Amino acid sequence: MARIVGGVDVGSATGKAVVMADGEIIGSHLIGATPRPQETARLVMEGAIERAGLPGIDRLDHVVCTGYGRLKVPFAQENVSEISCHARGAHWMAPSTRTVVDIGGQDCKVISISDKGTVLNFAMNDRCAAGTGRFFEAMARALCCGLEGISALENQSEEPCVISNQCSVFAESEVVTLVNEGVELPRIIAGINASVASRLTSMVRRVGLVKELVLTGGCSKNQGLARALAAKLEIAIEDLPEDPQIAGAVGAALIAAEKARG
Amino acid sequence: METEIRSEAFRKFAEAAAGIMNPELRSWKEEGRGVVGFFCSTVPEELFIAAGLLPFRMRGTGSTSTELSDAYFSPINCSFPRHAFNQALRGEYDFLDGLVCINSCDHVRRIYDNWIRALKTPFVQVMSLPRKVGEPQIDWYTDELKILRGQLEEHFGVRLTDERIREAIQLQNRIRGLQKQLYLLRKAERPPITGAETLAVMVAGTAMPKQRYQELLTELLAELEGRRGSRDYRARLMILGGELDDPAYLEIIEQQGGLIVTDSSCFGSRLMWRPVDEAEPDPIRALARYYVRDRPSCPRMYGDQPRRIAFTREMAREFRVEGIIGERLLFCDQWVVENYMTGLDLEEDGIPFLALDREYVLSGEGQLRTRIQAFLEQLEAREG
Repeated sequence: MARIVGGVDVGSATGKAVVMADGEIIGSHLIGATPRPQETARLVMEGAIERAGLPGIDRLDHVVCTGYGRLKVPFAQENVSEISCHARGAHWMAPSTRTVVDIGGQDCKVISISDKGTVLNFAMNDRCAAGTGRFFEAMARALCCGLEGISALENQSEEPCVISNQCSVFAESEVVTLVNEGVELPRIIAGINASVASRLTSMVRRVGLVKELVLTGGCSKNQGLARALAAKLEIAIEDLPEDPQIAGAVGAALIAAEKARG
Repeated sequence: METEIRSEAFRKFAEAAAGIMNPELRSWKEEGRGVVGFFCSTVPEELFIAAGLLPFRMRGTGSTSTELSDAYFSPINCSFPRHAFNQALRGEYDFLDGLVCINSCDHVRRIYDNWIRALKTPFVQVMSLPRKVGEPQIDWYTDELKILRGQLEEHFGVRLTDERIREAIQLQNRIRGLQKQLYLLRKAERPPITGAETLAVMVAGTAMPKQRYQELLTELLAELEGRRGSRDYRARLMILGGELDDPAYLEIIEQQGGLIVTDSSCFGSRLMWRPVDEAEPDPIRALARYYVRDRPSCPRMYGDQPRRIAFTREMAREFRVEGIIGERLLFCDQWVVENYMTGLDLEEDGIPFLALDREYVLSGEGQLRTRIQAFLEQLEAREG
């Protein structure tokens, strides 16, 4: 009988869960994070289980968890760092991937991976929210445009404003100043995306750019950011064939499948 | 700290590292003897020892905020001088009879200017350490040490004869030798002492009377003889960095399964890997040469990166290191550039390198654990 395994990624902003059998995703789910990581993990995994048409979490042969809440998941047999999980997940979704840029709620990381999907090197933002989901949330708040407004391609002006501050708090003040000067929204939005892309570019250069490069994590759905980053790195960035936000959970499930095989 | 080492000597070391004041230091003061604080491992403790003073390496241990010192500094100054100075403003360093500052870096050097305004320590000096490591710089530092000798003689009313300085060098060299012995035990497959425990032993050496420290360290070495530590670790690691005096930081790394077997850090091997030359006829010049050039180099010295990476490579080979972590205090300009170059050089050797930023007071443990776990997984994936 096929082994059924689960991967759960309890992030700072969202929880993601994936159920896999025979190397295929048979159910996945995503929810906003609750203040209790164990609760987020249970709720999101129950959602994925339901979508997979299974009776309950105890039907899973093996579960690996990842993300900031990974130490708090009672139904997981082990935990693996989100760096390893995003590497595995992105590689599974697109095997030609050699560099993963994961932009989550409070972290952004650049991971260099082997042709087998293992981690060769990585860099992460330290002690700072710049270039993360929290940063975009602050900007969307200052612009009253929602995260969709920041992402929308029609909002990406060809003449972006220069946002010089990388610090979320100061960048927000800078954006408020621009708004009050009457600068049109698409120029500010393009400027915000360009500033995050610039920070990510230096992290990519630090790790070393090897193609193909893919984006994972919630912020990878920001089309404006993806375009700005591709322009700065002078490469094409293809969309992943699966939801990039569940890459970490997919990686966790793949590792669970390996462990279940023993 | 958590430890499996059952030793009275180790308990005293851990206690000394966990705070600023400790029982040995207190007894010394109660005997009416003097203590001189100093910043940076390039200040020659030997001169204080020769003057009958206890050298105390300045730390910010136990600090929880910088609300007093931030009036003097800014939030983008290094957190080490901010916490250390905050502890001084709180009165934690009122026991000092003197303080010697140095231009180890611009953040730390500025403590001097603020200290003489804000505090009443009777003897406060600032030294000028050269930036290059050639003969002219050794001449320069020799002059600086002679000036300091004169200042100490005048203020404390002692004669700092060459003979006394030579004796102090011999004592410090004996301690360096014992500390190196402790490090060499860590070459074993199952080292009897962890990285966090070793750091506590090293920090204690900068905070208690030297003779007493030497006795206790000799005792500890005898106790560790034949002891086998846990084999339950995932990789042998080396730490690279500057001001790191908090064993708890290394404990977090080791709790994830990364056993720290050696380092190049300034409360670690750079303090003692090589001795001061006892054959040099002028002991002041011997000290100048040692602190400017002969000891393992620090990134504040100009044009010396090749020697630093050579030392790192030698350590990594000798201690069978599988991965190296470069820790850096946020805003440190010396170490950020150094770590980038180190990463490139180690890539040639195939040794994985992880650069970490930190604050002087331990924070963001979750992020730290994630990075360490990912690094260990990266190391294991290489084997598999």
